[in-house]
Amino acid sequence: MNERLWSILVESFPKLLGYGIRVTVPLTVFSFSIALAVALLVALIQYAKVRGLQQICRFYIWITRGTPLLVQLYIVFFGLPSLGIKLPAFTAAMLVLGFNEGAYMSETIRGALEGVSRGQIEAGYCVGLTFPKIMWHIALPQAFRTAFPALGNSMISMLKETSMAATISVMEMFRQAQVINGRVYESLGLYLEVALIYLLFCTFLTFLQRRGEKRLSGYGGKNS
Amino acid sequence: MKKAFVILLVSLCLLPLFAAGSKEESTALDTIKTRGTLRIATEGNWTPWTYHDAADRLTGFDVELGALLAESLGVKPEFNEVPWESILVGVEQNVFDIACNGVGYTAERAEKFYFSDPYLYTEAVLVVRNDNDAIKSLDDLKGRKTSNSPNSTYAQLAENLGASVDYVDTLGETMMMIEQGRVDATINAKGSVESYLAEHPEARIKVVQTFPGEPVCYPIRKGEQTDSLLEAINSFLAQARADGTLTNLSVKYFGTDLSKAE
Repeated sequence: MNERLWSILVESFPKLLGYGIRVTVPLTVFSFSIALAVALLVALIQYAKVRGLQQICRFYIWITRGTPLLVQLYIVFFGLPSLGIKLPAFTAAMLVLGFNEGAYMSETIRGALEGVSRGQIEAGYCVGLTFPKIMWHIALPQAFRTAFPALGNSMISMLKETSMAATISVMEMFRQAQVINGRVYESLGLYLEVALIYLLFCTFLTFLQRRGEKRLSGYGGKNS
Repeated sequence: MKKAFVILLVSLCLLPLFAAGSKEESTALDTIKTRGTLRIATEGNWTPWTYHDAADRLTGFDVELGALLAESLGVKPEFNEVPWESILVGVEQNVFDIACNGVGYTAERAEKFYFSDPYLYTEAVLVVRNDNDAIKSLDDLKGRKTSNSPNSTYAQLAENLGASVDYVDTLGETMMMIEQGRVDATINAKGSVESYLAEHPEARIKVVQTFPGEPVCYPIRKGEQTDSLLEAINSFLAQARADGTLTNLSVKYFGTDLSKAE
């Protein structure tokens, strides 16, 4: 490896990492929080079969899963202003990523809820618990444990999907690599470098996921 | 075990960096002639340089000139349509022989590539929304927001002038950024802005300043193997300049003769 490339990589590393920490990580955390809230709500509505709302949820999942993330970003950022809704780039990216992943995660959570045996729910009713209480104390804790690995998966894929926000002018880690590359023309080196930082972040998330799984397995016994 | 895997993965990723200086016996020109094709990288979505006409045929100034160049080398042109992002790296990595894509000469690019003699001299323009009266020239860009694609040398110009740049991927998006008031201005190639305005006469933008841009050249891989290729390209360009081909093509695609330096 020549000296010029090496010095470019060394110089750009803190810059890239900085954008990763200041933009990519917050964007992931905020979007994931939105996604989790949306997913939980949608899953519960579907599970409880609330008439009317259930159809709306199905429609939302259908649209979101059936269209590319890139198109959704474009519509919200470039399209909505013609309806008078002009969102800043970061907000638009956060909402789109959140609602996009939320659709997938809602199915994960719904699947996990369906996995909780009906007998337990009925037992809850028998001892006089209300539906929200049954959900909160019986179904959701078990569903959460089942869904946990898949949710971790979603978070990891979301971390990398934040790079799509670059297309609507969010200056995040990947775009920063492109901009540096625009000056020095070392795309291979710079993209590998930025890939390494994503890998670093994802490794950390994987580590957290392992820890979480271990904790959850000690909670509630084996025969759930 | 996990650690070993990570190290293995990382070193695999870095392998191409070390292999970049691999040897090659014959010259690039010989290889092209033996192969019988000139591997050309072009975007294919940038009017009037390289685009698809109504019949979906790849055409444009750079496409026609590139085909003539291949002909002069006695080979067939092989047009590869790739995004701007991949064009220069493709040339550098010897995936393509040449980029026919209106590439402007800059000192920074010249560190990495051989540049042919210029074949066009474009002009650049400063564009704002049509209700903007605050920005009249490049001097007014300080503290303003502009928009460009990430590899644009105009983005660097804007940054040097004290503007902050919001990056998008295409000219159409750049213009939307201006129309929606997300940024104040863009510096762009005059020809591209004009062809955008031809497609979108209703666009709420205006040109407030025109100034000379970078000379447009062919970038090729740097090194001993490409010396003779560079010579062949330059003699083709000299010929094309002398017999009026450059002028004719320029008038055909840009409506004016851009082949001479002002």
